[in-house]
Amino acid sequence: MVKAFRWWWGILLAFALLAVSRIFLPLPFVIEVVIFSIYTLGCSFLLGRVGFISFGQPAYLAVGAYGTAFYLFYFGTNPYIGILLGVLSGFVVSGIVGPLFVRLRSDYFALVNLALAVIIYYLMQKVLADITKGDNGLWFLTNIASTPVLDLGKPNHFFIFAFLVALAVWAFFKYLDDSIYGACCLATKINEDKLRFLGYSNFSVRLLAFVIANTTTALAGAMYAVYLGFVSPEISSPSRAADPVVVTILGGVGTLYGPIVGAFAYTGMKDVISKLIGNWELFIGFLLVFIMLAGEKGIWGSLQPWFGKLFARKKSPPATDVSTGARK
Amino acid sequence: MPPDSGLAATAGEILAVKGLNVAYGEAKVLFDMHLSVQAKQIVACVGRNGAGKTTLLKSIAGFLKPLAGSITSGGVSLVGRKSYDIAKMGIKYVPQDKKVFSDLTVRENLELGSYATKDYNWDRVTDYFPKLKVLMDRKGGYLSGGERQMLMIGRALLGSPKVLLIDEPTEGLAPSIVAHLRSVFTELSKNTALVLVEQNLPLVCAISSKVYAIKEGRIVAELADRESIRTDVCERYL
Amino acid sequence: MSAQLLTSGVIFGLSIGSIFFLMAIGLSLCFGLMRIISLDQLLYYSIGAYLTYTLSLVTGSVWLGVLGGLVVAGIVAFAVERLVFRRIYERELTFSMITSFGILIGGIGVIKFFWGVVPRPVPVPTMVQIDIIGTEVPVYRLIVVAIAALVYIGIWLFLNRTIIGKAIRAGIENVEHVEGLGINVSRLFTITFIIAGALSGLAGGLHAPLIMVDPSMGLEVLAFVFMVVIIGGLGSIKGTLVSAFIVGQVVSLGSLIYAPLAQMAPFAIMLLILLVKPTGLYGSALLKR
Repeated sequence: MVKAFRWWWGILLAFALLAVSRIFLPLPFVIEVVIFSIYTLGCSFLLGRVGFISFGQPAYLAVGAYGTAFYLFYFGTNPYIGILLGVLSGFVVSGIVGPLFVRLRSDYFALVNLALAVIIYYLMQKVLADITKGDNGLWFLTNIASTPVLDLGKPNHFFIFAFLVALAVWAFFKYLDDSIYGACCLATKINEDKLRFLGYSNFSVRLLAFVIANTTTALAGAMYAVYLGFVSPEISSPSRAADPVVVTILGGVGTLYGPIVGAFAYTGMKDVISKLIGNWELFIGFLLVFIMLAGEKGIWGSLQPWFGKLFARKKSPPATDVSTGARK
Repeated sequence: MPPDSGLAATAGEILAVKGLNVAYGEAKVLFDMHLSVQAKQIVACVGRNGAGKTTLLKSIAGFLKPLAGSITSGGVSLVGRKSYDIAKMGIKYVPQDKKVFSDLTVRENLELGSYATKDYNWDRVTDYFPKLKVLMDRKGGYLSGGERQMLMIGRALLGSPKVLLIDEPTEGLAPSIVAHLRSVFTELSKNTALVLVEQNLPLVCAISSKVYAIKEGRIVAELADRESIRTDVCERYL
Repeated sequence: MSAQLLTSGVIFGLSIGSIFFLMAIGLSLCFGLMRIISLDQLLYYSIGAYLTYTLSLVTGSVWLGVLGGLVVAGIVAFAVERLVFRRIYERELTFSMITSFGILIGGIGVIKFFWGVVPRPVPVPTMVQIDIIGTEVPVYRLIVVAIAALVYIGIWLFLNRTIIGKAIRAGIENVEHVEGLGINVSRLFTITFIIAGALSGLAGGLHAPLIMVDPSMGLEVLAFVFMVVIIGGLGSIKGTLVSAFIVGQVVSLGSLIYAPLAQMAPFAIMLLILLVKPTGLYGSALLKR
């Protein structure tokens, strides 16, 4: 009974927050938060469930965004197809680099992804400038056709669409979490050898997580592209690498509600701080250090045990004496 | 050897552990341990693998922080001190892994031992382990297991420690080297207390004057005289 | 390609490689001894560059600026080590990565606060050019290479001929054993960190006259420096020397052949090397994940 209640309660809080805020806060802000949440859900999945941190998430964001942008600029007008293509590009790219990246140690992994982001930045900015229009970016807002049911060209409708997508992504991750795959992910973090002895391949588990997480990130990129109607190389610049890292830490690593809370907090803070002191980096840098030193759990992560205590009816399991295996 | 009387025990006590509880994260591994080591005594800790013997030594040496309990030497508490401070106090830990610094020569290994203790008299070391003299310029990575063990102990001897905590010194070594170590330990104990974690029961029986049997993180037996050590040979408690 | 072009390309590559090398040593040492990823080294690089800029304006001497940059970078590194890293040595790698990243970003904010966002030029200390095989080569670049070579020798001497250096090498192998000998490893860590910071500051100061100093210069170089470190293998000084040389030459000579791809070549090389040796050329398989 308690467990079922908790399951519903999670969805209620996080998404109600978003829906309700739609009424009080400016639309662009809320849309930004929703897309950013999708972005962060992917990064958080990567970091929390499998233990990798990547400093190069903007790379996959860019892949998704440019995938969509190329289609909408050169080929067609249907935003849905555009988004689909963006997601596909993300899937393909992460599938290509995944097998190599995933074998690496955690620090190499983070940095190799950063290198990828820089390379893509450079690629879009200079090497492929002919088709990407370099720093000027691709503008295709006018290309986007009206679509039935939800006209993605209209911000109101876009919000609903984005909200539904975020919900779907969240539900998908929740499903993964509860499945055997989710257990494998956790096991990979804790004890690789045991997992191997059980017959699972650490590599496959990690690779799948990598592809899922980065395809999700590409989805966010594709949505940015449609929403803004514009993509430029800046989306993959190294200075943007901080965003997902900070948000994930802010929101608490690995929890499913954390990314949404974190995305909300981050976007909000960015807005407010930029208006107040203008020096966003100063604030975010020291905040990050402070959070790391104070505790790894982040906003939601720190709150979670509190809420858990509020609603837990069961007694905690009796302490076991490790050496004798007997229960005290 | 007659058992120590209560008074003499406290007077010559060089290491006292009381109520030691240690945990790795959530898992408690040592429960309420009490030990007493006299100056110039050889104390052996025996027990199965995983019983907690290494954890015990590491806790004394300051590499692990206990949950509760006291560890004192000469009235000074060791709990909470940095491992390198404890080493400078004269309580040295010789680890189980038989690793010396492989990229440094024997000479350099000893130099590091001398550096903190300011003891540059290597004669004692080479008296105990003459082979090291020959190996001075050989890199640690090229030493055999026995040579590495000798270097490890030799290094720890610098600074004339009052207690040596040695973790499974004879493990994996040839009988001739074990015999050599046995005579070294006997000589050493004239100046230094030794706490040996050992699986080699004949050695334990031959040289130790006190044996603690450890099982699943607890001390299950304390044999304080040679007679009971010899007769029981601890087998009953393992 | 003519000999002249080749010569100037090689020299250019050597000078770039030298800058990368100076930064990579610090990163490698910090990892090897303390098992941390110190992304904030890029901040000390920026500090070195900015101090060079300011001091060269104030005193008229760029070399004084470089020296000042080195010193200030070292001091800031010391402060950061005491305040932040001291508390996180025991934690896993990703922890230090994220924290140092925060310091880097925050530090960039500080730089923006004091110097603003506009890129600043730093004059080259000497505009002299000398003739090598018929090419005009800027002496400054040769000086940069010479300084890097001196630093390499200095570090080698330090690590192999001084007791503290030997303690550091021992610590890279096994810190616990070093502690067990009574050596204050905490102090060892601090010394190493200061050296790394000073070297990064030196790299920044030397690099400044070759580029414009701007607040995000650290981020721009970040990827390249880490590609050097990864190719060479974290924890190996020789590895960083070799890979800095390789990356420098590839970027330089590559740009003579086909400019746009030159910047991307190190990335390709890095991927290739990682395919064969996941820990880099000279990296050891330290630490699991």
